[in-house]
Amino acid sequence: MNFAHGELYMLGAYAGIAVIGVTQSFWVALVVAPLLVGVVGAVTEVATLRPLYRREPLYGLILTFGLALVFREAVRQIWGGDMRRILPPITGSTPLLGMTYPNYRLFLLGASSVLLLAIWLFFTQTRAGIVVRAAVQDAEMLDGLGVDVRRVFTLTFAGSAALAALAGLLLAPVFTVYPQMGVEMILLAFIVVILGGMGSMGGSVVAAVVIGLTQSLFSLWMNPQRVAIAIFGIMIVVLVVRPRGFFGREGVLE
Amino acid sequence: MKRLTWLAPLLAVALAVALAQPAASQQKVVKIGDLGSKVGVFEGYGKYQSMGIQLAVEEINGKGGVLGHRIEVIAEDDDTKPAPAIRKAEKLILQDGVKLLIGAVSSGSTMAIMDVTKKHKTIHWNSVSCAEFMRTTKFHKYYFSNQPDSRQQATGLAKYILDKMGKKVYIFYTDYAMGQSDGRQFKTALEKLGGEVVGVAGAPLDTKDFSPWFGAINQSSPDVLFLAFAGTDSLRLMTQLHSFGMTKKYKLAGIDCFLLQQDLPAIAEPMEGFVQLNHFSAYNPDPNMQAFNQKFKKKFGVDANIAAGAYDAVYFWKAAVEKAGSFDPDKVSAAHEGLCIDKTHIGRQCIRKEDHQVVMDMHLYRVEKGKNLPIARDRRQGRDRRGHGGPGSAEGLHLGDQEEELAARWTISSRSCCRSSCTASSSGPRWGCWPWA
Repeated sequence: MNFAHGELYMLGAYAGIAVIGVTQSFWVALVVAPLLVGVVGAVTEVATLRPLYRREPLYGLILTFGLALVFREAVRQIWGGDMRRILPPITGSTPLLGMTYPNYRLFLLGASSVLLLAIWLFFTQTRAGIVVRAAVQDAEMLDGLGVDVRRVFTLTFAGSAALAALAGLLLAPVFTVYPQMGVEMILLAFIVVILGGMGSMGGSVVAAVVIGLTQSLFSLWMNPQRVAIAIFGIMIVVLVVRPRGFFGREGVLE
Repeated sequence: MKRLTWLAPLLAVALAVALAQPAASQQKVVKIGDLGSKVGVFEGYGKYQSMGIQLAVEEINGKGGVLGHRIEVIAEDDDTKPAPAIRKAEKLILQDGVKLLIGAVSSGSTMAIMDVTKKHKTIHWNSVSCAEFMRTTKFHKYYFSNQPDSRQQATGLAKYILDKMGKKVYIFYTDYAMGQSDGRQFKTALEKLGGEVVGVAGAPLDTKDFSPWFGAINQSSPDVLFLAFAGTDSLRLMTQLHSFGMTKKYKLAGIDCFLLQQDLPAIAEPMEGFVQLNHFSAYNPDPNMQAFNQKFKKKFGVDANIAAGAYDAVYFWKAAVEKAGSFDPDKVSAAHEGLCIDKTHIGRQCIRKEDHQVVMDMHLYRVEKGKNLPIARDRRQGRDRRGHGGPGSAEGLHLGDQEEELAARWTISSRSCCRSSCTASSSGPRWGCWPWA
């Protein structure tokens, strides 16, 4: 568990601003910013998380919580606390089923589907993906089989940092960029992961769709502020009735 | 005794330095406080409030100050939240001993610090916040305002919306003191004039994604979308409304502080046709308005905006202090009542005795190509703004003299509402005036 994941998402957006400032291109930033944040992720993992792997998981939690604060305040020092905007690279909107929908959001729909598919293929079809899963399941065994587990962990952390950064930059034109943006997103992400079941990628997808649909359908009848409360309600019910989530493995949270 | 002789030259030097200080520093100093949002969602307003105060203070100090005192401004940031606002207001009054407090920007903060200025008997001017509670339930004798509040804006703008824009209005507001007050007052005003409010919804201050609210707005199919937001919220909201095609679908109207002129060029297209009732625009050709704007621009290099009303607040306070002949809060408060100043950006302004509200003219403006232009034609300048129809522009504005007559009727002065008339015109327990007002 990484409490600083939301801050890596936020760093992605700010790195995007920096890259766009130099190259004037959103698409270049979409490639370069995640790589930059991936490097930040790798350095962070080697310097801070690696010494803690043999201790209790609680140490890691507290560390990442602290890292989140450090990242947030560092960004505030560098870029200031005010909101910044990234203009969407795709403008205009499309009439869709009786309403108008922004083209950029349609692009996001496509981009996230492609990303999801790519991640799924990586974990199920490639050797590297299988090694990562094995490292999570039994690191000692993998070590015994001659795989450099430390390198696997570093690369995984860097990869996930880059993915978070990519998400942050993709969503920046919609939500705008500010130091707190990661905090708001990490909460939703935790809800999705817990609902879907820890360790189940398919579960997270299903949970994300359920949360998204609940949010949009219910806000037709009631104030969206109350819908946000309803989402926490769903999480409480699921945790009481089925703590492992929709598709979680037994024993993780039960 | 001998040990002290070496001290003598030192003392002499110190004395010489003290005496050699320029005369100006011997002038007595009176401190005033500038409290508001310097960062965050409303930072634009806070910064311009500070600029307005600075400009007035420099002018006044250049002419000898107030009652022989040089004015010194102490600025504080309230984080746009009531609790820090109270702390900072107490710091300004108790620690710095300010004789005048100007602020805050957010209505929630202003209401909170009104308790502080009342308790410590400090003259308090508000020139940005527009929730109506300051003039009604929270009112106290040391409080003054030159910002037209929700009720005053509603009384003026509702008629134009219904006559020129459409009968079915959806009210979307920012969910705290200011927006709630705007929502309530505009609903009352629109319904009193025969309009239909097809929906009312609030989104929290600093909302990032407004799209969850859009479904309900589209479902109620209004003619006009009335928006009561401010600062970066407005910026985000307009960008998102535009990307969902809603700025073209509905006519747009909103409150006077919706967006500052400085932010308009960046979102000129989404804002096209947006109508508001306002006391300042850098694009109003009126000579008084231009004179003030030029002065502001010369000093800061940017156009002024409504938050610069703080400039007039300083001058009102100066006039009242000089009339009272002292800084005593009770005397200064009494001297404020009925006081008028001339040749401000909006001409003559007077403080109404009953609720300490400044009475001044307001004009209807419409955003055209990123500029807040007056709807009424100004004959003196020979300017003609007719025929510049954006999507939100009203069809009816192609009249000659009749248009001017109508515009004159919509140039509502704040006289049209005061505290005492509030109880009389109450309509409905929830959205009407508050029973204790």
